[in-house]
Amino acid sequence: MKIKVYGVGLTAWVAAACLARAGNDVLIEGPDSQLEKPLEEISALRDEPGLLDQIELQLRAGRLQRTRDKEAYAEVHWLALEHNEFESARKIIRALGKANPDNLLIVNQCNFGVGATDQLQDELNQDTNQIIVYIPNNLQEGKALEGFSQAKRIIIGSDSNWAITMTRSLFRPFIQNIEHLQLMTSREAEFTKFAITGMLAIRLGYINELANLADQMDVDIDTIREGMGADPRIGRHYLAPGCGFGGQNFNQYIARFSEIFENKGKDSLLKTVISENEIQKELLFKKLWQHYRCNLTGKAIAIWGASFKPGTASIDNAPSLKLIDALLAQGVEVRVHDPEALGNLKKHYRDAPLLSFCDNPYDAVQDTDALLLVTEWPEYWSPDYLKLLEDMHTPLIIDGRNIFDREALELYGFTYMGVGR
Amino acid sequence: MTVDNSPAWLALNTHANKVREKHLTEMFADDPARYEKFSFRAAHCLTDFSKQRITATTLQLLIDLAEQQKLSQRIEALFTGEKVNLSESRPALHTALRQPADQPLLVEGIDISQEIHASLEKMETLVDQIHNGQWRGYDGSPIKSVVNIGVGGSDLGPLMTCRALSMFAPEHIRDIDIHFVSSMDGSHLSGLLTHIDPASTLFIVSSKSFTTIDTLANANTAREWLVEISGLPVELISQHHFIAITASPEKAADWGIPEKNQLHFWDWTGGRYSMWSVIGMAIALQIGNKNFRQLLSGAHQMDTHFRSAPLHENLPVLMAMIGIWNINFLDIHAHAVLPYDGRLEHVPAYLEQLEMESNGKSVTLKGEKLNYATCPILWGEVGPNAQHAFYQLLHQGTESVMCDFIAPALRYQDQGEDLQAQHQLALANCLAQSRLLALGDSVLDDADNAPAHKRYRGNQPSTTIMFDSLSPASFGALIAMYEHKVYVQSVIWEINPFDQWGVELGKQVATSLLDQFTQQASSATDSSTEGLIRYVQQLRRENQP
Repeated sequence: MKIKVYGVGLTAWVAAACLARAGNDVLIEGPDSQLEKPLEEISALRDEPGLLDQIELQLRAGRLQRTRDKEAYAEVHWLALEHNEFESARKIIRALGKANPDNLLIVNQCNFGVGATDQLQDELNQDTNQIIVYIPNNLQEGKALEGFSQAKRIIIGSDSNWAITMTRSLFRPFIQNIEHLQLMTSREAEFTKFAITGMLAIRLGYINELANLADQMDVDIDTIREGMGADPRIGRHYLAPGCGFGGQNFNQYIARFSEIFENKGKDSLLKTVISENEIQKELLFKKLWQHYRCNLTGKAIAIWGASFKPGTASIDNAPSLKLIDALLAQGVEVRVHDPEALGNLKKHYRDAPLLSFCDNPYDAVQDTDALLLVTEWPEYWSPDYLKLLEDMHTPLIIDGRNIFDREALELYGFTYMGVGR
Repeated sequence: MTVDNSPAWLALNTHANKVREKHLTEMFADDPARYEKFSFRAAHCLTDFSKQRITATTLQLLIDLAEQQKLSQRIEALFTGEKVNLSESRPALHTALRQPADQPLLVEGIDISQEIHASLEKMETLVDQIHNGQWRGYDGSPIKSVVNIGVGGSDLGPLMTCRALSMFAPEHIRDIDIHFVSSMDGSHLSGLLTHIDPASTLFIVSSKSFTTIDTLANANTAREWLVEISGLPVELISQHHFIAITASPEKAADWGIPEKNQLHFWDWTGGRYSMWSVIGMAIALQIGNKNFRQLLSGAHQMDTHFRSAPLHENLPVLMAMIGIWNINFLDIHAHAVLPYDGRLEHVPAYLEQLEMESNGKSVTLKGEKLNYATCPILWGEVGPNAQHAFYQLLHQGTESVMCDFIAPALRYQDQGEDLQAQHQLALANCLAQSRLLALGDSVLDDADNAPAHKRYRGNQPSTTIMFDSLSPASFGALIAMYEHKVYVQSVIWEINPFDQWGVELGKQVATSLLDQFTQQASSATDSSTEGLIRYVQQLRRENQP
């Protein structure tokens, strides 16, 4: 099929890559500034593992083209705009409606809020099969290609039989291993997407709250969460405590959902989760501050991991940023290592003389007074402890993801602090 | 020769004999253009004196009096840093606090402008640090609550301004809750400590001398609270949870606040004139550094007007001289301040201190006892609320009272029609009250037939002060206008507005009485004090656990 994708973010590129790989003719349209950008400068492509390669492959194969041609024909139109581009979406839809009087299928994957798809549908004529369906994205940054092309669950938000049939056929290549396919109205589908994201955020918020309490109650949160996870009503997912969650997509959805609650005059659980998460991002700083009795003057601190989670170069809403800000504000020398995100970090901190970017994790810890583990990249799980002991000025490790074994570290002679244990 | 025997004063006396007989109703009837003649605009403010019991001649005679008292020279003396505070032998340079940085001001060879701006910049750095969430409490939390501990000038100005301008809080900064604690008995503080989080609370201790017992008692309690909850040594808590704003750096350091957490001002800044200095830190925390500078700039506009405008169109001068007319020639000794805008609710309390502590004096600059009235009793309340409280006395009581009505012309311009309608309702009430106070029931057609208890005699003079809309700049100008009004009156009365010896003795006597509550046999010098102490002692004994 001929498919045109609108958008410049991760959702747009992932859809374009997967749809092209499945044999579709895909056009991706964005503003001129975006089109002229070399691919490797587009952060969504650079930060997501495998995506840049896949896009280059599909471009070379000719199944994917970048275009600025607003009139270019397509059977299916795929909206993956940013959450604040509702008016642009409305304009696109209006133009499409005029140009394609009947049998027009538009897939909406934008985070515009509950009821937005219905509002966009109002610009179209349902009687002549001008239909917009809402398909929540299953985007997990770091695993985005897999999430799209080997979907386990899919929700189709539409009440038009024609559109549902067309959408099923469009998704056929990607739903071979499907466990759950559900049809509902677009409004319900939008709500479901928010509800899932919100639930995950609340679980993370809750386990972090438990971990902070465990810190004060002399119990190990690891033991507690194993006990919790064994209960089938709870399960083990999204129960790892840590120094805060980040990322763009996830945060945008929960922020938007919290806004919806607020607009209805309700203080939501989610709002608390969001604000507590911002506080959680400073947890490692607080532990350090307390350890050094409120005085970090003249200290040098190493940070391992800057991306908001392993497997991505993205630093959007990453806890590392709040930590670095806090340390720099105290005049601390900060030495950061990250296998992927240093480029993004350098752009974020253009003028910070106290901050250095280290290509090797052991360079980062040279003569430091603490090592803060912020992102649990696989290469950090089993470091050369003796080298760390030798290189660090003070052998203090503050582990924001609970990846190290406390007893072993203490045997080596480190001072160890985790989250909730 | 004292001023009340001077030619200009005597001329006003003679003139007053005629004017006193005239009712404001007649004055308005005689001259339909009173508003045009007697209303003036400058530096964001409009002052309408047409409801004052004055004629064009009155104003001229008042200006004559001002000139006779060499007012223009005295204004220059104030601005140029002459020692206008004779009893303490120092200048009063609140105007310098709001002077732009590029205008040097040499006082005894030192450019104080540089010192002032260096001090302000240090304050701004601390404010930024708090706004950015990078001032850390003992557990590493960023500051959420700031408690301003101060009393008198270290409390009233910042409190009034924070409340008046709270809507100007800048966006994209950490939201800080600002609290004010002043009462010596700990009532403010004890209530507050139950619902703020110690680790994220910062205390600003404001005291010019850093010996004010009210303030230090509160600061000690606050510090004890933090030490107890945190389990940390007192030195650490003093360093991370206290800022000192003072003119006595050593005393603040002795108390435990390091130099880097101190902000300084100078002995030439009177307490009640100090909110423009670093004492205004709470204001800057509330409205942001930029808006704080706007506040200073608005006040500076009024300063420039006061210093350069001819006396007969000089707002603070006219306000002051008409006040003198009311007090000394029409025998009015009560002054009500009535803002028609809830945001200005703390303005009356501020002006009570500004006017009464400044001009509540009965000795001239030469040290002679004077025999004419000076500062009247001044009080006030948000106008619409006061209408349901003491306006009865204004309309039908036996006292003559002069009133200041204060209101912004515009409000809620971008917040919908309902609220705009509420503002209009307030303005209609404001104008109705000043009209009725001036003209009495003559505004009605058949008032004469009403029974006596329903009659309104009118002839109560008032000034209406309006400004375009409430903003940091217009508010700065308004407060500066009152400051200068107070100074002008002091010049005419030949008194020192910058000292306050009348508040000293009470402190000493209190100190000497303190021990008597715990002594077995009380030995106060009068039977009343002695009796009251015994009463407290007895109740304490009876209620011992």
